[in-house]
Amino acid sequence: MSKITRRTVIQGALATGTAAAIPTGIAVHSRPARAQAAKQVRMVPHGDLRVLDPIWTTANMSAYHGAMIYDTLFGYDGDLNPQPQMVGKHGVSDDKKTYTFELRDGLKWHDGTDVTARDCVASLRRWIARDGGGQHMMQRVTDIAASDAKTIKIVLKEPYGLIYEVLAKTSTPLCFMMKEEVAATDPNQQITKHIGSGPFKFVEGEYRPGSRVVYERNAAYVPRSEPASGIAGGKVVKLDRVIWDIMPDAQTAAAALMNGEIEFFEVPPIDIIGALEAAPGVKIEVLNKLGNVGYCRLNHLHAPFNNLKARQAAQLAVSQDDFLRAAVGNPKFYQTCGSNFTCGSPMGVEDGSDMLKLPMAQRQARARELVKESGYDGKPLTVLHATDIHVMNQAAQVIAQNLRQVGFNVQLASSDWGGVVTRRSNKNPPDQGGWNVFFTWGGGNATASPINLFGHAATGQNAWFGWPQNDLHETLRNEWAAAANLEARREITRRMNKNMFDYVHDIKTGQWVAPVAYRADRMKGMLAVPEVVPWWNVERV
Amino acid sequence: MAAYIARRLLATIPVMAIVGIFVFMLLHLTPGDPAAIIAGDNATEQNIAAIRARLGLDRPLHEQFASWVWNTVRGDLGISMFSNMPVTKLVLQRAEPTIALTITTLIVAVTIAITVGVLAAWKVGTLLDRAVMGFAVMGFSVPVFVVGYLLVYVFSMKLKWLPVQGYVSIDQGLWPCLRNLILPSVALGLAYVALIARITRASMLEVLAEDYIRTANAKGVATSNVLLRHALKNAAVPIVTVIGIGVALLISGVVITESVFNIPGVGRLVVDAIARRDYPIIQGVMIIFSGVYVLVNLAVDLVYTFLDPRIRY
Amino acid sequence: MTTAIIAADCPAPAIADRLRIFARRNPTIAIGGTLLALVSLAAAAAPLIAGDPIVFMPINRLKPPSDEFLLGTDSLGRDVFARTIYGARISLLVGLTVALFAVAIGLGIGLASGYYRRVDAVVMRLMDGIMAIPAILLAIALVSVMGSSVRVVIVAIAIPEIPRVARLVRSVVLSVRELPYVDAARASGSKVRKILLRHILPSTIPPLIVQATYICASAILVEAGLSFLGAGTPPEFPTWGNMIAQSRLYLAIAPWTIFAPGACLALVVLSINLLGDGLRDRLDPRLARRM
Repeated sequence: MSKITRRTVIQGALATGTAAAIPTGIAVHSRPARAQAAKQVRMVPHGDLRVLDPIWTTANMSAYHGAMIYDTLFGYDGDLNPQPQMVGKHGVSDDKKTYTFELRDGLKWHDGTDVTARDCVASLRRWIARDGGGQHMMQRVTDIAASDAKTIKIVLKEPYGLIYEVLAKTSTPLCFMMKEEVAATDPNQQITKHIGSGPFKFVEGEYRPGSRVVYERNAAYVPRSEPASGIAGGKVVKLDRVIWDIMPDAQTAAAALMNGEIEFFEVPPIDIIGALEAAPGVKIEVLNKLGNVGYCRLNHLHAPFNNLKARQAAQLAVSQDDFLRAAVGNPKFYQTCGSNFTCGSPMGVEDGSDMLKLPMAQRQARARELVKESGYDGKPLTVLHATDIHVMNQAAQVIAQNLRQVGFNVQLASSDWGGVVTRRSNKNPPDQGGWNVFFTWGGGNATASPINLFGHAATGQNAWFGWPQNDLHETLRNEWAAAANLEARREITRRMNKNMFDYVHDIKTGQWVAPVAYRADRMKGMLAVPEVVPWWNVERV
Repeated sequence: MAAYIARRLLATIPVMAIVGIFVFMLLHLTPGDPAAIIAGDNATEQNIAAIRARLGLDRPLHEQFASWVWNTVRGDLGISMFSNMPVTKLVLQRAEPTIALTITTLIVAVTIAITVGVLAAWKVGTLLDRAVMGFAVMGFSVPVFVVGYLLVYVFSMKLKWLPVQGYVSIDQGLWPCLRNLILPSVALGLAYVALIARITRASMLEVLAEDYIRTANAKGVATSNVLLRHALKNAAVPIVTVIGIGVALLISGVVITESVFNIPGVGRLVVDAIARRDYPIIQGVMIIFSGVYVLVNLAVDLVYTFLDPRIRY
Repeated sequence: MTTAIIAADCPAPAIADRLRIFARRNPTIAIGGTLLALVSLAAAAAPLIAGDPIVFMPINRLKPPSDEFLLGTDSLGRDVFARTIYGARISLLVGLTVALFAVAIGLGIGLASGYYRRVDAVVMRLMDGIMAIPAILLAIALVSVMGSSVRVVIVAIAIPEIPRVARLVRSVVLSVRELPYVDAARASGSKVRKILLRHILPSTIPPLIVQATYICASAILVEAGLSFLGAGTPPEFPTWGNMIAQSRLYLAIAPWTIFAPGACLALVVLSINLLGDGLRDRLDPRLARRM
């Protein structure tokens, strides 16, 4: 498939043979001459890769890292249908209770050993311990085992319709396969070895947390024969090296892209998209069509939002239009949405959201009445405000103004995001270190599943920050998981969505996509995948 | 002399101890939970508690402090809570860009500042003098990051002379390395140049008024000789003092400059660490920066004896 | 009638003349002072001349200057003119309070440590320690752990300035305490507090005023730097620093969001520095020669 030239042989020797013997400093610095000759792409991702264990954390950056060096048993294609990836032949028994997966030929770990079914079983177990969807599946599982070197068997107590969907998902944590010795790591501890079987290899010697991550092509990777689509299909690598440059300042990253110092900028601020588009060679494209969903979380434990009427008032007061305009700006990239499960996804139903369509003045008038009826005592609400992230910064200010407009007193508690993360887990009343409102956002893809997203739980003290409680909601979630097919699930989702608006689970503040900007004069072949930025299929021009 | 150096080195111990106590207390006595941040968005309370226990954050404060001091004294700055890498290693990885940027800035700034300072003092009252002094006041009237953006806009985006961002190791050639350092050094050095130019001018003026200068001039010693051999040497003590104190200014500027120009240095490491409450990194870097500052100023004191034989210890 | 006019007219040219002479002799004080006075006036009159700086309408975001919005609007659709004028209040407040706070505490510490030998050793080590910690890191750390508010930012910027003030005051005290008149006061049995307040304090005032102006100027700049790093004053309340930092993305597409606060900040810091230089020349000839 790839021609072996003299250069690649020498490089191979350099990378594998000598690199181990010489100190890392020298290995790093001997790279440049080669880097220029090699086909490489420099990209600026949305954040820093801090955790190298994509099972242990749900951080998107770690999932990006995982998608580079690990492979999955199944994967969603571009149309969100699960397809086999590491698996070749697979089947279900007639009673729908035994699933058999047979690994395809040619799968090897980066250290040269074969991928075995035992490795995959260990990986599945560790992943299940960390993943909400996996745990949901596990409640119905009697056994997961390797029946021979290449065959994995999953035996269920009762039929479960979501097996492929859960294993193929691209929301974090993805179900990545690791070597058995690595997968044996306690699920609550991070792994320390980074050996995958995926299309790229992690260059550990060049890893600089907070600054740079380097991957190189895994020459031994055998891609599937189907065309690449989503994280399914053939992962054909056409680059030698992919470099992630972590840049904290968006203005600097944008200038670097226009100047040709990088090839790809994952999250250019939408306000300067116009300037980027006008720069020669730069192209703007939306890869993750499901985008992001904004969440305004209310604290259900304390006054005033332990009161349904106060929550309903807030729901009427917070304007998706205001938020989207302020935080996103360009209407080309955002939409208002009446679904708790991502408009545009299979579950993106909008039942129960009619009030969002009323004129703002009418909503505010009704909200003012509700504030009065709720018995709100005028005590200032504490809205957590992260000042170091653009969308968060704008969002908190919009929400504060919206709430003020209907008669709430609002106090913004400003800090960096680290401060918000710390404070939001505090269950005390707001004047004792707790809070009333905070804003965050999640991937539209993750939000689309009522089961996988922790934020969709309404289990009170055990739920996600804000701690909403609603028994009907929990019943509906269980029915949803047990439902036989997509149609049935969508019907249940309709009831769920309406109920969530009734008890005001949280307030969705609208949906937006984050376009990427890249040098179309230098690279092509980006695949559109929600929540992962894949670098296979990409080539230099 | 040796005894003096030893005494001064000993005197740095209480200073560093105070830095240590101050930094530790600042981080640990105030709210901010690295465990909650590490655990991420989908964490449950049990997850967070488990992480807290693993990091030792649930131990009594005095125990944490004692073990931190003991390890720091042995040269072990601990393990980063987020990347699980030793702080010493992280700092060493980031040291080269910061050192290169600081030294380049220091050399360029001091050379320029002393030159224009001497010129301004020599031509005191002229247009040149006014221009230098005007520039000097403006030099510390504009935020570093604004200067940085303006430089990038003009020299990278419009003229395309220099790169927008990044750092190239000196191993890859002097010019590629310098090319990336020019704009950051200018942005970072501006206030520093202004500061040193002012002090140079002022202390040169003072010396130039002395009798021996007048004598030298009368004897017909060449002007350049008078300025450099006689005057500058005698004006050097306050200049060196300000260069030493100004290192603090540089260290603060480095933090911002590294962010604007995407230089993977120690400054950015610690700003990221503060945002995440990665205590071991924050503590380690603060100790290192403070140590550098203390040592530089110790060195400055020692330089006095060479500059001014009248100063004896 | 005529006498009244004469009476009213007569002293006026005298004052104007005197001002002119003063301005000619002290150009830096005159320029700096006038600019500062104008800005302070605008800040004081903010409610009269500017609209609401906090309320925003996302529908009006990033509008160029027009009749409705004299200096355009920012990324939340807030009036840049109003924010710049109100920003003067908070920026000046930050500068002044930081200077006052640092000077007040530094003065106390400096007096005590210059006069009492025993206090000196301990306190000066403490001051050396704080001075050794990079100011901006200390400030970011303080803001991060205490949450961002104008008050916290003021304290965070002021703390690193205290040792410099304390050292300055201490050096003045050390040089003054051995002077004959202090000795005389001590010999005549004056209380220590009285000696400090009546005989030593006055000598520290001139250099302190000069130092205070520099601290004030630098505080406004540091606040901008902190805002750049996401640890400045809360973005809801305008300061020039956080306006620039928040709008830096729009430098190319909406330069008006940066221009006004940027120009004001540079101008005011420049005026304060000029004022400081002028005051130094007048109040403290010894320091003037050294700086």
